[in-house]
Amino acid sequence: MSQEAIGKERWVVGAELPSLAKTLSQEKIDRYARASGDFSPIHVDPAFAAQTPFGGTIAHGMLLLAYLSEMLTAAFGQAWLSGGRLKVRFKGAARPGDVVTVRGRVERVKGERGVCSVGCLNQQDGVLIAGEAEVGIS
Amino acid sequence: MKRAIEALEKGQQFSAASFVLDEEAVARYLEAVEDEALPRLAQAEGKAWVPPMAVAALALRSLMEEMTLPAGSIHASQELEFVRAVEAGERVTCRAWLSHRSQRGGWWVLAVGMEGTDESGRPVLAGRLTVMVPR
Repeated sequence: MSQEAIGKERWVVGAELPSLAKTLSQEKIDRYARASGDFSPIHVDPAFAAQTPFGGTIAHGMLLLAYLSEMLTAAFGQAWLSGGRLKVRFKGAARPGDVVTVRGRVERVKGERGVCSVGCLNQQDGVLIAGEAEVGIS
Repeated sequence: MKRAIEALEKGQQFSAASFVLDEEAVARYLEAVEDEALPRLAQAEGKAWVPPMAVAALALRSLMEEMTLPAGSIHASQELEFVRAVEAGERVTCRAWLSHRSQRGGWWVLAVGMEGTDESGRPVLAGRLTVMVPR
């Protein structure tokens, strides 16, 4: 779905948004820590993270949300940046080496706004993030 | 000043925090998250848009600087509303408050509301996050 899909006539319930996939690495997690200023040891300190129930470092939840935001920016353009809403639950941890796939689907149109289910999955189809995004329909 | 969970009360306001994402910081963020869509949109519109999730991430960071969250704390859910797009170089001020605190099993459940405003005081971002903190 391109940015032209913002038009109301293009909002077809069940339509899939173009997905994207990102391969995580510790280097990418570290780079995100530097860009965001979030140096929590569960993300950047392998020795510390090994002693936690996760057994190793995990990606920042906000890094995965950035991937979601990229998909929504590609699909809806300015309608996502100005007036976009997101409501998600973090359901699983993403680790270095994981391939994170971001997906979305048009679920319903209510008035002048459209609602999509969105989510991030790992390479085993394990749900990392699930929720809904809402944007204005111009 | 960092505050312990036990010292937080519902309705409590956190200190306001102000930040600016300049073009260099935006470029660093875009490289870190490998976002190819926002630069295309920004170029098409001739604007230096800041990725909305970068604004949210900095708002959350300023909040986390106020709270002492022990190891094992879990970011459980996130709600965000991007009221309007922010351009590189704009100053955003973030205000946050504790909207919920309860105990469930061996966890504290904390919900924090937040709002980001521009220099005119107009909202650019609103949100709510829920954190599970081991007791």
